[in-house]
Amino acid sequence: MNAFLAVLWKDLLCEWRSRDRLVAMLVFSALVVVVFHFALPGGAGAQTRANAPGLLWVATVFAALLGLGRAFAIELENDALAGLALAPVERGWIFLGKWAANVVILALVQGVPSLVFAIVFEVDLLPVLWPFAGISLLGSVGLCAIGTLAAAVAVRTRFRELLLPLLVLPLLWPVLSGAVRGTAELLEAGSLSFEPVQLLLVTDATYLILSFLTFEYVLDE
Amino acid sequence: MIRTSGTALLVIASLWAWAVFEAPVDAMQGSIQKILYVHVPCAIGAYLGFLTTALCGALYLRSSDARYDRAAISAAEVGVVFCSLNIASGPIWARGTWGHWWTWDPRLTVTLLLWFVYLAYLLLRAFTDGSERSARFAAVYGLLGAAAIPLNYFAIQLFGGAAMHPENLRRGSLGEGMGLPFALGMVAAAAAFLHLLLLRIDLEGRRAELARALADARDQ
Repeated sequence: MNAFLAVLWKDLLCEWRSRDRLVAMLVFSALVVVVFHFALPGGAGAQTRANAPGLLWVATVFAALLGLGRAFAIELENDALAGLALAPVERGWIFLGKWAANVVILALVQGVPSLVFAIVFEVDLLPVLWPFAGISLLGSVGLCAIGTLAAAVAVRTRFRELLLPLLVLPLLWPVLSGAVRGTAELLEAGSLSFEPVQLLLVTDATYLILSFLTFEYVLDE
Repeated sequence: MIRTSGTALLVIASLWAWAVFEAPVDAMQGSIQKILYVHVPCAIGAYLGFLTTALCGALYLRSSDARYDRAAISAAEVGVVFCSLNIASGPIWARGTWGHWWTWDPRLTVTLLLWFVYLAYLLLRAFTDGSERSARFAAVYGLLGAAAIPLNYFAIQLFGGAAMHPENLRRGSLGEGMGLPFALGMVAAAAAFLHLLLLRIDLEGRRAELARALADARDQ
């Protein structure tokens, strides 16, 4: 548990001091939304608003992939990854620390594409702000569980930037389908049914437990 | 063992080919319906491959025995071959009966995603240096891939969607005379899977032996 808090604190402090990952993710996610605007000639039409939940999550996933790639790449400097691997603690807690830091950073980033979306595509998020934040958090938890483990794997391979999205995206469907469905329900009806929350809870728990248990085999000196 | 499985495959596949030839032509769909006898067995081969990969990966993580890893990579490759055949035969049938090459039917989507998972598995192995590390990483990813299968089906169950595929193979859903070629197709796919798996494991074993011999020669 101490290892979890130590890794979480270390990652957040590193991020706070450099802020490079956060800034890059923020700019990138806003940029993706702008690209959507060019790619969808309909502008803020009803069709675009209907697709908004999916597009918003695509922007989130792309930004997350950008940040996750750095999560372990920063540990390569000064061979810090070997230090983590040699720490006399259960490696699962190190994973949880890394994962929690990624969730916090992604949660901070997610606000920006949501805000840009709300403005550019005239999507009214204010009345459903809290349940929307809840669904976003549940989505990020699953996304970061798979992403953190995959980033730890990819960092030790050749072409790691190339491999990370290939490893993460095919496994994301249950997370994305729950998150997009939940967001769509909130934007259309203003309320949330239990099904998307249930799917996200089950998926998050499965991916988190599996990643916690297998991280031991992924981290090596 | 390989010779026995090869002979068994030859016999079963011949019986299956004969049964498919003799099977009645579907009144609604015509002869294109006979793709069923290839399409579904290929899915069985794919799932057999992916489950074997996850199981052998888990056993490898427990024991660090390289034989399990050789079985895992072999099963993944054979599974990808079956999955590719399944995905290729589906659209041919779909074009003839549904009028579209592709629909985002839940079962189709899940199979396509699974295909991508195992392509990523093979890429991961190709991009990782060191056989021990590559085996470890692949075993972990294989486990995640296997965990995604029930999660995907859970998502389908919750949200439904326009399902073109039958939900399950209910007794009596096949027309008269179609049961035998269907069942033989399943057995033939299992036999083909086993034979290809054994061949591939044998090849992987020989590769390991060659690598060992080369390392020994270099040491001397």
